[in-house]
Amino acid sequence: MKKKSILMLAALMLVLSAFLAACSSNKTGTKKEENNGKSGEATDKPQDGGTLVYALDSSFKGILNWSFYGDAVDDEILQLFDENLIRYDEKLQPQPNIASWKTTDNKVYDFEFKKGVKWHNGDELSVKDWEFALKVVADKDYEASRFENVRNIVGAQDYHDGKATEISGIKVIDDYHIQITFDKARVNNLENLWTYPMNRTEFKGIAVKDMEASEQVRTKPVGLGPYKVTKVVPGESIEMSRFDDYFNGKPHLDKIVVKVIDPSLSVGELKNGTLDMTKFHPSIIEEVKKLDNVNAITYPGLSYYYVGFRLGTWDGNQNVMNEKKYQNVKLREAMYYAINREEWVKAFFFGVGKPVNRPVPTNHWIAADNKDLEQFKYDPEKAKKLLDEAGYKDVDGDSFREDPQGKKFVVNFSHYATQNPTFESRAKALTQYWEEVGLKTKLTMTDANLYYDMLDKADKSMEVFFGGWSTGTDPDPTALWSSKAMWNYPRWVNAESDKLLDQALDMSVVGTEANKRKDIYGQWQKLFMKELPVLPIAEIEETMAVSKRVHGVTFDVSGYNRPNEWWIKQ
Amino acid sequence: MLKYAFRRILGMIPMLFLISIVVFTLAKLMPGDSLSGEIDPRNTNPQYIAEMREKLGYNDPLPQQYFRWIGNFVEGEFGKSARYKIKVSDVIGERVPNTLLLGFTSILITYILAFFMGLYSGRKPYTLGDNLIGGLNYLGLSIPSFIAGVFAIFFFSFTLGWFPSNGSIDIGVTEGTAEYWLSRFHHVFLPAVVLGLLSTASYTQFLRNDIIENSRKDFVRTARAKGTPEKKIYNVHILRNSIIPLITFLGFDLVAIISGAIITETIFTYPGLGQLFLQSVGTRDYPVLMTLTMLFSFLTLIGNLVADVLYGVVDPRIRLD
Repeated sequence: MKKKSILMLAALMLVLSAFLAACSSNKTGTKKEENNGKSGEATDKPQDGGTLVYALDSSFKGILNWSFYGDAVDDEILQLFDENLIRYDEKLQPQPNIASWKTTDNKVYDFEFKKGVKWHNGDELSVKDWEFALKVVADKDYEASRFENVRNIVGAQDYHDGKATEISGIKVIDDYHIQITFDKARVNNLENLWTYPMNRTEFKGIAVKDMEASEQVRTKPVGLGPYKVTKVVPGESIEMSRFDDYFNGKPHLDKIVVKVIDPSLSVGELKNGTLDMTKFHPSIIEEVKKLDNVNAITYPGLSYYYVGFRLGTWDGNQNVMNEKKYQNVKLREAMYYAINREEWVKAFFFGVGKPVNRPVPTNHWIAADNKDLEQFKYDPEKAKKLLDEAGYKDVDGDSFREDPQGKKFVVNFSHYATQNPTFESRAKALTQYWEEVGLKTKLTMTDANLYYDMLDKADKSMEVFFGGWSTGTDPDPTALWSSKAMWNYPRWVNAESDKLLDQALDMSVVGTEANKRKDIYGQWQKLFMKELPVLPIAEIEETMAVSKRVHGVTFDVSGYNRPNEWWIKQ
Repeated sequence: MLKYAFRRILGMIPMLFLISIVVFTLAKLMPGDSLSGEIDPRNTNPQYIAEMREKLGYNDPLPQQYFRWIGNFVEGEFGKSARYKIKVSDVIGERVPNTLLLGFTSILITYILAFFMGLYSGRKPYTLGDNLIGGLNYLGLSIPSFIAGVFAIFFFSFTLGWFPSNGSIDIGVTEGTAEYWLSRFHHVFLPAVVLGLLSTASYTQFLRNDIIENSRKDFVRTARAKGTPEKKIYNVHILRNSIIPLITFLGFDLVAIISGAIITETIFTYPGLGQLFLQSVGTRDYPVLMTLTMLFSFLTLIGNLVADVLYGVVDPRIRLD
C-alpha cells in the first residue's frame, strides 16, 4: 500500500479527525499573518486574479456534499466551496455565520438566516434548504452516518422510523426564520446539530437513496462557499472558480485547482512553484522548511497520543473493569515516570510535538492549566521506588522485576505499524524506558488496518497499547472516556469521572456558563491524571505548506481562514 | 483453430469459478472490513456500525456471502463500492480510459524503441553501438520501476520541467480539443516510458538475438550469394522472420494494458485501474477489489489464449488441434 501510507497514518492515528475537520468548516483567523515579521507585506493591498493550486495527498472519493461525505480528503475540498451555517472561533465557540440563533433554555432554538445569501446556482438560501437537509439526513433510506446529529430533534426518530411525515421539532416560520426544538435541554445541543443546508431545487425529484450517487453530489455540486466547482475529474482534480456573490465578500483568486499529488512528490512540486498549498506529514518538515519559496506553517492541533492500559472489557453496552494486571495505580505511575517524554517527543515528532499532561489538547478551551496537574517529569529513580513499593521486585535475579506474587512480569505493548519507519523506533524507545526501570517489555507491531479491530476484541498482545485521539469542536470527552463509551479502550470505569462528565453537560449544574463547565472539566482532568487509565504522551501541531506568493492565509486552532481572503501577489 | 479456441474458452469457466473462490476467500481473510476505517467521533453510537455491517451482509456465513456475490456477479451486478458509494462498474469505468491510454502509449513506445534498437543491434552486433544498447537494456531490466519512476520524476519533472509529475490531464483544458489530447499525452508520456522500460529492454534483446541468428541461416547466405543488397537482406528477409516470434507477445501485452501498472500509476498519481486496485486493498473495498481481481484473471486467461493462437498462426508447425 503505497501512497496510502501517509493517509493511512493520519486516518488511523487520528481516527477521529475526519469529523473534526467537518465541524470546523468555518474558520476565523487569529489574524496571525503567515508572513510574520516580513515588513511591508502585511500591509499590501490584496490583488485580484491568479490561480491557486491546492494538493490533496490521496485520491478523493468525490462525495462532495457534507450530508454524505465520509472522509477528511473530501472535506478538504468541501471547505473551499461550501459553507457551514455557524462557524467556530479560535476558542472553538460557535459563532453566527449565515445563521444566528437565540435560545433561552438550550432546548428551543430560534435561528435567523442572513438575507441575500446566494447558492452557486443563483438561488437564494432559505431556511427550507436546511430543513430539507435535516429531513434527508433523518430519512430511513439515508445511509451515511450523520443521523446522530439530527436524532436529538423532537420527532426526528419518528420520521426516521417512518412513523411521521414531518419532523415535529422543526418549525419553518418564513424564509429566514426557523425554530428547532430538541428533545431535552443540553449544553451542547447546538454544537451537535447538523448545520449544513442542501440546495432543495438541485435535489428535487431525486430519491434519498440515489442522492449519494447523483451528479449533484459527485460532479456538479452546488454550495454556498467562496468558490464554485466548475469541473471534476474523478479521483484526480477539481477546478473551482470565483463565486462573485459570496455572502462574505468577493474572493480575490480567479481559480483554485485542487489536485491529488502523491505525498512523495509534494516537496518537488512546491519547489517548482507548481503547487501553492498542501497539508504535509511532519516527517518532511525539514525539507519543506529548506524551500525558499514556501512557508512551512504549523498551527495548533487538537490531537493527542497516549499509552493505554487494558483494565477491562467491553460487554456490548458498557465497560467492565475486570482485568487484573494493571489495576495497581503505582505500577501505571511508575511506567509514566519512567518515560522521558521530552527526549522522546524531540526524537520522533520532528519538532512539531510536545509532551502533554492530560487527555485534552492544550489548545482546547477546556484544557486545565498545567500548574493544576501533576507533571510526571522523567524520574526513573522515582519509578523504581514506586515499583518497589507496589511489590514489583526482582526476585530471581534476572535483573527484571517480577510481579508481587513473584511470577514473571512482562509488559505486552502494542503499536500500530504503517509504512512510516519511525513508528517502530518510537515504540522501541518506549519499551527501552520501561526496561531501564526493570520491567520486561515485549513489543508487537500490528498492521494499522487491524489495530483498532484487535483493540476492540481485546487481543492478548495489546495489554498496553499506543493510541491517539483527535477531538472535535465540542469539548465533551464523554464519548471517549465515560464508562459507557465504546472508544474508551482502556475500559476504564470510574463513578466519579462519570459524575463529573454528566455534570459538565447538565443544564441544571452549569447553566450556560462556559466557565463553570471548564471548572468541572478541570476537576475531571485532575481525577483522570490521578487515576491514569492511560498515560498522555504528546500532542502534535498541524502542518501546512503555503507558497510565499499566496497572501492573506491565516491559521488558528480550527484551521485556515475563509479562502475568499486569500490572494496571490502578481 | 476455431474449435481449439472454443474449447479453451469453455475450459475457462471452471477455472474462473475456482479463481472466484480464491479471490473471495483471500479478500475476506484480510483483517478488518470496509467499516473499520470509518470510525467517526460523533457517531459514538456503535449501533450504526453494527447496523451497516448487518446491512452489507458482513455478518452472514461466508458461503452465503460468496454465493450472493457470485450470483450477482454472473448477472453483471458487481455491487456498490464501499469507498466511493457508487456502482463498481461506474468506478471502474471512470478509470478504464486512463489505463487504456497509458497501456497503449507504453506499448507503442516499447515497440518503436525496441524495433529500432533491436534492428540496429542485430545488424551490427558486438560493435560499440550494440554494446551501448545492450548496456542500456540491462540497466532497464535491472532497475525496478518504482526506482525508475522516482528518478524520471526527479529529472524530467523537477529538474528539467519537461513533463508533469502527476495526474492525467490539466484541468483547465476543454474536453475534445486538440489541446486536450496534447495535455493527455503530455501527462501520459513519462509514466508510459517508465512502464515500458522493462519490456523495451527484453524486446530489443529478443529482436537482436533473432536477427543475429537468422543472419547466419542458409537463406541469407543464398540471398547474399545472389547479390541482394545488404539493406534489403536485413530489412526484408531477416526482419520478417525475426518479427514473427515477437508477435506472440501481443497476447500478454493485452493483459498488461488493462491490468494497469500498480506501481507506476501510484508513483505518478495517475488515476487508473492499478491505483484503484491498490486503494481498494487498503480500504477493504471488497466489491471493487474482487471485481478487479476477477477482471485481471479473466484477461490473463484470454491473453494466454491469444498468445497460443498466435503461435499457431505465425508458425504452422505448431498444431493447435
